[in-house]
Amino acid sequence: MTTSPELYRGSKAAGLAAVALFAVLAAVFVGAGFSGGAGFPADVSITASIGYLLFDFPSYASVGGEGFLAAFEIIDVVLVAALVGAVMLARREGGDPLSVEGGEE
Amino acid sequence: MAVPMEYYLLLSAAVFCIGVFGVLTRRNALLFLMSVELMLNAANINLVAFSWHHGNLTGQLFSLFTMALAAAEVAVGIGIVLVLYRNFEDVDVTKATTMEW
Repeated sequence: MTTSPELYRGSKAAGLAAVALFAVLAAVFVGAGFSGGAGFPADVSITASIGYLLFDFPSYASVGGEGFLAAFEIIDVVLVAALVGAVMLARREGGDPLSVEGGEE
Repeated sequence: MAVPMEYYLLLSAAVFCIGVFGVLTRRNALLFLMSVELMLNAANINLVAFSWHHGNLTGQLFSLFTMALAAAEVAVGIGIVLVLYRNFEDVDVTKATTMEW
Protein backbone atom coordinates (compact mmCIF):
# COMPACT_ATOMS: atom_id res chain seq x y z
CA MET A 1 0.00 0.00 0.00
CA THR A 2 2.23 2.68 -1.26
CA THR A 3 0.77 6.10 -0.85
CA SER A 4 -0.54 7.52 -4.08
CA PRO A 5 0.30 11.11 -4.93
CA GLU A 6 -1.97 13.60 -3.25
CA LEU A 7 -2.21 17.30 -3.84
CA TYR A 8 -1.64 18.37 -0.29
CA ARG A 9 -1.09 16.60 2.95
CA GLY A 10 0.68 18.59 5.58
CA SER A 11 0.32 21.33 8.07
CA LYS A 12 -0.30 24.97 7.33
CA ALA A 13 2.66 25.75 9.59
CA ALA A 14 5.08 24.04 7.23
CA GLY A 15 3.82 26.05 4.29
CA LEU A 16 4.02 29.24 6.29
CA ALA A 17 7.57 28.39 7.36
CA ALA A 18 8.63 27.83 3.77
CA VAL A 19 7.02 31.07 2.58
CA ALA A 20 8.56 32.98 5.48
CA LEU A 21 11.98 31.56 4.63
CA PHE A 22 11.50 32.68 1.04
CA ALA A 23 10.48 36.15 2.20
CA VAL A 24 13.60 36.51 4.35
CA LEU A 25 15.87 35.24 1.58
CA ALA A 26 14.24 37.47 -1.02
CA ALA A 27 14.56 40.53 1.20
CA VAL A 28 18.26 39.82 1.71
CA PHE A 29 18.91 39.20 -1.99
CA VAL A 30 17.04 42.24 -3.24
CA GLY A 31 18.66 44.45 -0.62
CA ALA A 32 22.18 43.18 -1.26
CA GLY A 33 22.73 45.50 -4.20
CA PHE A 34 24.77 43.48 -6.68
CA SER A 35 26.62 45.47 -9.27
CA GLY A 36 26.92 44.25 -12.85
CA GLY A 37 28.63 40.90 -13.13
CA ALA A 38 31.98 40.28 -14.74
CA GLY A 39 30.55 37.72 -17.13
CA PHE A 40 32.49 35.55 -19.56
CA PRO A 41 34.11 36.60 -22.83
CA ALA A 42 31.84 35.95 -25.78
CA ASP A 43 34.42 34.34 -28.07
CA VAL A 44 35.80 31.56 -25.85
CA SER A 45 34.49 28.07 -25.22
CA ILE A 46 33.27 27.73 -21.64
CA THR A 47 32.86 23.97 -22.00
CA ALA A 48 36.45 23.48 -23.18
CA SER A 49 37.69 25.58 -20.29
CA ILE A 50 35.70 23.48 -17.84
CA GLY A 51 37.27 20.37 -19.32
CA TYR A 52 40.79 21.76 -18.99
CA LEU A 53 40.17 22.85 -15.40
CA LEU A 54 38.68 19.48 -14.53
CA PHE A 55 41.92 17.80 -15.59
CA ASP A 56 44.17 20.35 -13.89
CA PHE A 57 45.35 22.34 -16.92
CA PRO A 58 44.47 25.89 -15.84
CA SER A 59 46.98 27.37 -18.27
CA TYR A 60 45.04 26.00 -21.26
CA ALA A 61 41.70 27.29 -20.03
CA SER A 62 40.65 30.60 -21.59
CA VAL A 63 38.51 31.53 -18.57
CA GLY A 64 39.93 31.77 -15.07
CA GLY A 65 39.52 29.01 -12.55
CA GLU A 66 41.34 26.42 -10.48
CA GLY A 67 42.30 22.86 -11.28
CA PHE A 68 40.11 20.19 -9.72
CA LEU A 69 41.75 16.91 -10.67
CA ALA A 70 41.96 15.61 -7.09
CA ALA A 71 38.31 16.40 -6.40
CA PHE A 72 37.37 14.76 -9.70
CA GLU A 73 39.09 11.51 -8.73
CA ILE A 74 37.68 11.56 -5.21
CA ILE A 75 34.15 12.05 -6.57
CA ASP A 76 34.79 9.04 -8.80
CA VAL A 77 35.58 6.90 -5.76
CA VAL A 78 32.55 8.26 -3.90
CA LEU A 79 30.23 7.45 -6.80
CA VAL A 80 31.52 3.88 -7.07
CA ALA A 81 31.18 3.43 -3.32
CA ALA A 82 27.62 4.76 -3.39
CA LEU A 83 26.61 2.49 -6.26
CA VAL A 84 28.12 -0.55 -4.55
CA GLY A 85 26.37 0.45 -1.34
CA ALA A 86 23.06 0.79 -3.18
CA VAL A 87 23.43 -2.65 -4.74
CA MET A 88 24.36 -4.11 -1.36
CA LEU A 89 21.30 -2.53 0.24
CA ALA A 90 18.92 -3.59 -2.52
CA ARG A 91 20.09 -7.20 -2.75
CA ARG A 92 17.90 -9.75 -1.07
CA GLU A 93 19.61 -11.40 1.85
CA GLY A 94 19.98 -15.12 1.51
CA GLY A 95 18.31 -16.15 -1.74
CA ASP A 96 19.73 -16.49 -5.20
CA PRO A 97 20.28 -13.00 -6.56
CA LEU A 98 19.37 -14.15 -10.04
CA SER A 99 16.04 -15.73 -9.15
CA VAL A 100 13.12 -13.93 -10.74
CA GLU A 101 10.12 -15.36 -8.90
CA GLY A 102 10.17 -12.39 -6.57
CA GLY A 103 7.94 -12.11 -3.54
CA GLU A 104 8.95 -11.35 0.00
CA GLU A 105 11.36 -13.68 1.66
CA MET B 1 20.87 41.51 -22.05
CA ALA B 2 22.47 40.07 -18.97
CA VAL B 3 20.01 38.94 -16.33
CA PRO B 4 20.67 40.66 -12.99
CA MET B 5 22.00 38.53 -10.18
CA GLU B 6 18.92 39.09 -8.02
CA TYR B 7 16.74 37.09 -10.40
CA TYR B 8 18.98 34.04 -10.21
CA LEU B 9 19.09 34.29 -6.44
CA LEU B 10 15.31 34.68 -6.18
CA LEU B 11 14.79 31.64 -8.42
CA SER B 12 17.23 29.67 -6.30
CA ALA B 13 15.51 30.77 -3.08
CA ALA B 14 12.13 29.76 -4.50
CA VAL B 15 13.36 26.32 -5.53
CA PHE B 16 15.02 25.84 -2.15
CA CYS B 17 11.86 26.83 -0.28
CA ILE B 18 9.79 24.43 -2.36
CA GLY B 19 12.26 21.72 -1.37
CA VAL B 20 12.01 22.69 2.30
CA PHE B 21 8.22 22.58 2.06
CA GLY B 22 8.40 19.13 0.51
CA VAL B 23 10.70 17.80 3.20
CA LEU B 24 8.45 19.23 5.91
CA THR B 25 5.14 17.91 4.56
CA ARG B 26 5.64 14.82 2.41
CA ARG B 27 5.57 11.35 3.94
CA ASN B 28 6.45 9.34 0.85
CA ALA B 29 10.15 8.54 0.91
CA LEU B 30 10.50 9.01 -2.84
CA LEU B 31 9.03 12.50 -2.63
CA PHE B 32 11.50 13.16 0.17
CA LEU B 33 14.33 12.32 -2.21
CA MET B 34 12.86 14.62 -4.85
CA SER B 35 12.63 17.48 -2.35
CA VAL B 36 16.24 17.01 -1.31
CA GLU B 37 17.17 17.14 -5.01
CA LEU B 38 15.32 20.44 -5.33
CA MET B 39 17.34 21.92 -2.48
CA LEU B 40 20.63 20.68 -3.95
CA ASN B 41 19.75 22.12 -7.35
CA ALA B 42 18.92 25.47 -5.78
CA ALA B 43 22.50 25.52 -4.54
CA ASN B 44 23.64 24.66 -8.07
CA ILE B 45 21.78 27.65 -9.51
CA ASN B 46 23.59 29.88 -7.02
CA LEU B 47 26.97 28.38 -7.88
CA VAL B 48 26.54 28.89 -11.61
CA ALA B 49 25.13 32.39 -11.18
CA PHE B 50 28.02 33.51 -9.02
CA SER B 51 30.45 31.83 -11.40
CA TRP B 52 29.14 34.16 -14.10
CA HIS B 53 29.11 37.11 -11.71
CA HIS B 54 32.80 36.71 -10.92
CA GLY B 55 33.87 35.61 -14.40
CA ASN B 56 35.47 32.51 -12.90
CA LEU B 57 34.69 28.90 -13.76
CA THR B 58 35.29 27.47 -10.28
CA GLY B 59 31.60 27.79 -9.44
CA GLN B 60 30.53 25.76 -12.46
CA LEU B 61 33.03 23.04 -11.57
CA PHE B 62 31.66 22.99 -8.04
CA SER B 63 28.15 22.56 -9.39
CA LEU B 64 29.34 19.57 -11.43
CA PHE B 65 30.71 17.98 -8.26
CA THR B 66 27.45 18.74 -6.47
CA MET B 67 25.55 16.91 -9.21
CA ALA B 68 27.81 13.89 -8.83
CA LEU B 69 27.28 13.88 -5.08
CA ALA B 70 23.52 14.21 -5.63
CA ALA B 71 23.64 11.15 -7.89
CA ALA B 72 25.49 9.19 -5.21
CA GLU B 73 22.99 10.33 -2.61
CA VAL B 74 20.04 9.26 -4.73
CA ALA B 75 21.61 5.87 -5.39
CA VAL B 76 21.93 5.21 -1.67
CA GLY B 77 18.52 6.76 -1.02
CA ILE B 78 16.79 4.50 -3.53
CA GLY B 79 18.48 1.50 -1.94
CA ILE B 80 17.21 2.58 1.46
CA VAL B 81 13.69 3.09 0.06
CA LEU B 82 13.80 -0.45 -1.35
CA VAL B 83 14.77 -1.88 2.02
CA LEU B 84 12.11 0.27 3.69
CA TYR B 85 9.43 -1.10 1.38
CA ARG B 86 10.64 -4.66 1.83
CA ASN B 87 10.48 -4.42 5.60
CA PHE B 88 7.39 -2.29 6.12
CA GLU B 89 5.38 -2.90 2.92
CA ASP B 90 5.21 0.87 2.65
CA VAL B 91 7.35 3.84 1.76
CA ASP B 92 5.75 6.11 4.33
CA VAL B 93 8.63 7.48 6.37
CA THR B 94 6.46 7.98 9.46
CA LYS B 95 5.61 4.29 9.65
CA ALA B 96 9.21 3.14 9.92
CA THR B 97 9.59 3.92 13.60
CA THR B 98 11.43 0.76 14.61
CA MET B 99 14.97 -0.28 13.79
CA GLU B 100 14.67 -3.86 14.96
CA TRP B 101 15.54 -5.79 11.82
